[in-house]
Amino acid sequence: MKQPRPFQYLKWSADFLNFGYYLTAFPNLSYWALRLARPLYVRRETFFNRKFRYAALILGGGILPPEEIAAYHYGAKAFVDNMKGALKANELGRPVVWVEWIISSEIVNAFDALPFNPETLSVFGNMSGEDVPSQLMEEAESRGFAAENCSAIKVTAGSYMLKQIPRPTAIIAGSHPCDTNVSAYQSITHLTGAPAFYFDAPYWRDEDAFDYYEKNMWCLIDFLEKNLHQKLDWDRLKEVVENENRFNFYLQEICEMMRAIPSPSTMITPVFAWVVREIAIGDPNATEMARRIYEIVKARYEKGVGVVKKENIRVLWWNPPIAFFAYVFKWMEDEFGAVVVKDFIGDVRMPQIDTSSERAMIRDMAKNHLYLAMARQCHGPVEFILSELEQAIEEYSPDCLIFAGHAGCKHGWAVIGLIKDFLKKRGLPSLFMNMDIMDQRHATEDDIKRWITEFFRSNGFV
Amino acid sequence: MKTILDKTRALAAMTDNPHLEAARKQGKKIIGYFCSYLPEEILHAAGLIPYRMRAVESKGTMRADAYYSSINCTFVKLCFNKALKGDFAFLDGVVFANGCDHTRRMYDNWRYSKIGTPFLHMFFVPHMINETALEYFSLECGKLKSSLESHFQVSITDEALEKSISLYNRKRRLLAEIYALRKNRDVPIKASELLGLMLAVTAVPVETAIEILTEVKQFIEGRVISRPEDLRLFISGGCIEELEHLELIENCGCVIVADNLCLGTRHFHDEVETQGDPLRAIAKRYLGHLSCPRMMGDFQRRLDCLLGVRKEYRIDGAIIEKLKFCDLWGAEMYLYRAESKNRGIPLLALERELYGGGAGQIKTRVQAFLEKIRNQQATDEGVVRAAGTDYKPK
Repeated sequence: MKQPRPFQYLKWSADFLNFGYYLTAFPNLSYWALRLARPLYVRRETFFNRKFRYAALILGGGILPPEEIAAYHYGAKAFVDNMKGALKANELGRPVVWVEWIISSEIVNAFDALPFNPETLSVFGNMSGEDVPSQLMEEAESRGFAAENCSAIKVTAGSYMLKQIPRPTAIIAGSHPCDTNVSAYQSITHLTGAPAFYFDAPYWRDEDAFDYYEKNMWCLIDFLEKNLHQKLDWDRLKEVVENENRFNFYLQEICEMMRAIPSPSTMITPVFAWVVREIAIGDPNATEMARRIYEIVKARYEKGVGVVKKENIRVLWWNPPIAFFAYVFKWMEDEFGAVVVKDFIGDVRMPQIDTSSERAMIRDMAKNHLYLAMARQCHGPVEFILSELEQAIEEYSPDCLIFAGHAGCKHGWAVIGLIKDFLKKRGLPSLFMNMDIMDQRHATEDDIKRWITEFFRSNGFV
Repeated sequence: MKTILDKTRALAAMTDNPHLEAARKQGKKIIGYFCSYLPEEILHAAGLIPYRMRAVESKGTMRADAYYSSINCTFVKLCFNKALKGDFAFLDGVVFANGCDHTRRMYDNWRYSKIGTPFLHMFFVPHMINETALEYFSLECGKLKSSLESHFQVSITDEALEKSISLYNRKRRLLAEIYALRKNRDVPIKASELLGLMLAVTAVPVETAIEILTEVKQFIEGRVISRPEDLRLFISGGCIEELEHLELIENCGCVIVADNLCLGTRHFHDEVETQGDPLRAIAKRYLGHLSCPRMMGDFQRRLDCLLGVRKEYRIDGAIIEKLKFCDLWGAEMYLYRAESKNRGIPLLALERELYGGGAGQIKTRVQAFLEKIRNQQATDEGVVRAAGTDYKPK
């Protein structure tokens, strides 16, 4: 691939999302346009298909109903604002704080600074239809980043090396969920030269652990005040957190309603909301999107209507969704009537944050962060995984489990025997895929489709 | 007649050994641990013998493969395989730490596989070195102490901790003195011999370790194992426990004179303070000692260690090693590469499997690396004019 111009991919993503934002302002029109054009980008592997499939399917691909498209409109706005802010940051002299993907950005939002998720292009880079993440990863590897490091951070490094994302004024990273975060963010810090704050996630989840994480939060405030030369705006933080509480409430309710048979929602919605959360938590647009989706799902739930016409298979999806094949859930619904009713990332179960005092807010935020997806399952003993699986099997009545075995999650692979044993005892048919969620060099979209199809067939689901 | 270094080499090759057997006969209990962040003094003060886990004598990973995957590290899989086979049945307990993702998951696998070790404890080590982390780490040290007291029905007093601190400081001092002898132009001990020594002294009671170290120190006085033409190297990396691997490197025409290894400088770097609260002093030493890449934001100190010894030990080049699938050392290699390039330090980055063979390939790479350094040195001194194609005059 040609070397991109500075910010080319981020600009492309922002422009596309901006187009999506305007298109979704007319949800009926966009629904029919996408639906009628669907044969062009779904069925056959053509130039047009390759170029536009990802982007069109992200917008619902003619499957998401108009009312959900209308809700996505607000999510698109949150993305666009953040990306445009990043593109203009240099010009405006606004500090950009990189907030690594497993950390929440409320506190940065309470400063006059732009929180920016440097892994952004691992998802949105695919929208150009040009396999941008692979190019970014190859760039990072060619300059010495370890091949075994998680692809998310290699995308960050490659994005920075190829000048696709803004230079950070400061970086916030953490020790969870994996060793790549611990080590490769030290490399990123070295690469950018920006001051970095590292959250240290405790192993356990008890009061001592929450105390420790809370102290980390206070240290972060000191760090940002020092490096941004500003004071934290507590009123702004309260506003952000109140928005976040509402956002989490709606998402949590949606996840709860997905226990119903048939499931009133597709998991793609909470996953999309998770991406919105990563980029724009506390943004009123994000909250509005969550509220609208909640209303739609609640209406379906009350009527006993499923998100697909005929729900054939209820799937538990373990590990993060596939960034280069983000519409895999929609593909399964479309092809097999297989609905992902619970996953690893989209499932929201964060405690609400008490905003009655500064102390209470920081304390609860610390707890909340340890219940974020991935932090929740990955930072402690295997029981954090098994108990969540146990609960999911009890509550969501799944027919099977698909384990999207991300190559970067070596801690997950290190207990794969225990997970397999557990699922065997519970009699849950399971598919274990050897792949990388951002790197198609491990397994491609076609491989994944083939594995899932064979799995469903061999277990008599289809 | 066997020398003390032959004896330590023999001890290094064993999982269990006669010293542990003798201690067991006296009713002593043995506790395994994995990481250089685990405070041995607390175990010792409880009347227990700390034992550093090792993969020596391992016969493959067949059983462990049922628990781990193909992208997990060989050290962990080899050790766990031994545990499943009952090779660690002599242990009365194991203390795990979150040294890396692979070892921290051994706590889970060990519990669920019902190996039957009576005492299992997970010891959390922060990833940061600052006051907040020290406070939490002190708390964790206290929890380890309470857990040992409760399980083994002992009381760990401050006096016992102070005594243990004093013994372990003595051990560290002796190790530091032996290592420091490698500053001399004539090096008295090979890195492979030192690795054997380290494996030995981490598998016997500390009192025996001190005796061994004292004897080794006497034995190597006036000894010379290096040749004048040998290049002097620094080595850094995660798990290295094959003596043959270091021998292979040193037989290529160099001598390793300094390191940042788990079974090396990290084991004895910095002593525990003998003033104040002993538990807090232990926490301070273990959290703050020379770090490995699991400690975030501390690369500068690791680099300073290399730069310091470069001058002090007259290092000609550095080797950094990692086991396959090690994210921590993988990322560290990037940092070493970047800094060595900036500072003109010849660097060889090696990746391998523990007990994974490939000696021929490694030998070729080391030989090429040493040849490159020699050519550069010769050219820079103006003695020889054409070295490698990459030669750039200063």
